Amino acid sequence: MQSKPRLLTILDIVTLLLFVVAVGMVFFYAPLEAVMGQVQRVFYFHVANAWVGMLGFLVAAISGAGLLIKGDPKWDIAGIAAIEISFVFFFIAIVSGSIWARGTWGTWWTWDPRLTSAAIVELLYAAYFMLRQGIEDPDRRARIGAIYAILSFLSVPLTFISIRIFRTIHPVIIGSGAATAQGSFDMTTKMLQTFMFSLLTFSFIFADLLWHRIRLGRLAVETETLRLKTLQ
Amino acid sequence: MMMLAIQQAPAETTIYMIAGYSVIFGVMLVYIISLIVRNRNLKRDMQSLHELEEQAK
Repeated sequence: MQSKPRLLTILDIVTLLLFVVAVGMVFFYAPLEAVMGQVQRVFYFHVANAWVGMLGFLVAAISGAGLLIKGDPKWDIAGIAAIEISFVFFFIAIVSGSIWARGTWGTWWTWDPRLTSAAIVELLYAAYFMLRQGIEDPDRRARIGAIYAILSFLSVPLTFISIRIFRTIHPVIIGSGAATAQGSFDMTTKMLQTFMFSLLTFSFIFADLLWHRIRLGRLAVETETLRLKTLQ
Repeated sequence: MMMLAIQQAPAETTIYMIAGYSVIFGVMLVYIISLIVRNRNLKRDMQSLHELEEQAK
């Protein structure tokens, strides 16, 4: 196991600083929304979490393609790392969205196209871990996992555009939404700055966690290799 | 006039904001701790395996 790279330590520090500033902006810089009140502040990190989720699923699909083309196991380590992180962050996005919905719509959940497609995405990636658990041969596991990651990714853009092509009550933040949307609001300059800064911060969080998780994956492979060697 | 003032005030949704951020910070923290714990366990396993390897020699 290699020692921690200096660049990763710098990334850790920068990410932490960005996170502290983002939290400060959410609670002390962004103004109170006139209709929804305090619950609107959930929106900044809710969207940022969903962004990390979608970004990670994209990275996993690219890693899957990399594995199928190159056959190098490092792509498998990157793919599972990206999916694990995104699975967690997408889960946060769904739960925080549900809490926002309770405060704004008066219900925890509704079978709206966006909510339903987001739940399907999360379940699809939950199945990814189950699928991997069921395959013993590492090469076969990596190949099937890669194909699954590529195919599952098709659900991600569908979720993203669902609020733009279907009749929905979920607000569209960027671009014009449906007339049925409930909880839409016009962002002031400070709100927009906080929103963009949160997206930037969470992109750094994703990059930082991905690097750590890939290192963990490599360490797991090294440990398993050594275990097999020791037992022989 | 009083009713108008009440209607114009933002909804009282502080509890949902607290709940939302509790989930966001809580789950993120749990995940980071899980990464640290898994890393520590793997390093411990690695060390034990190296010791076994040395003993075998």
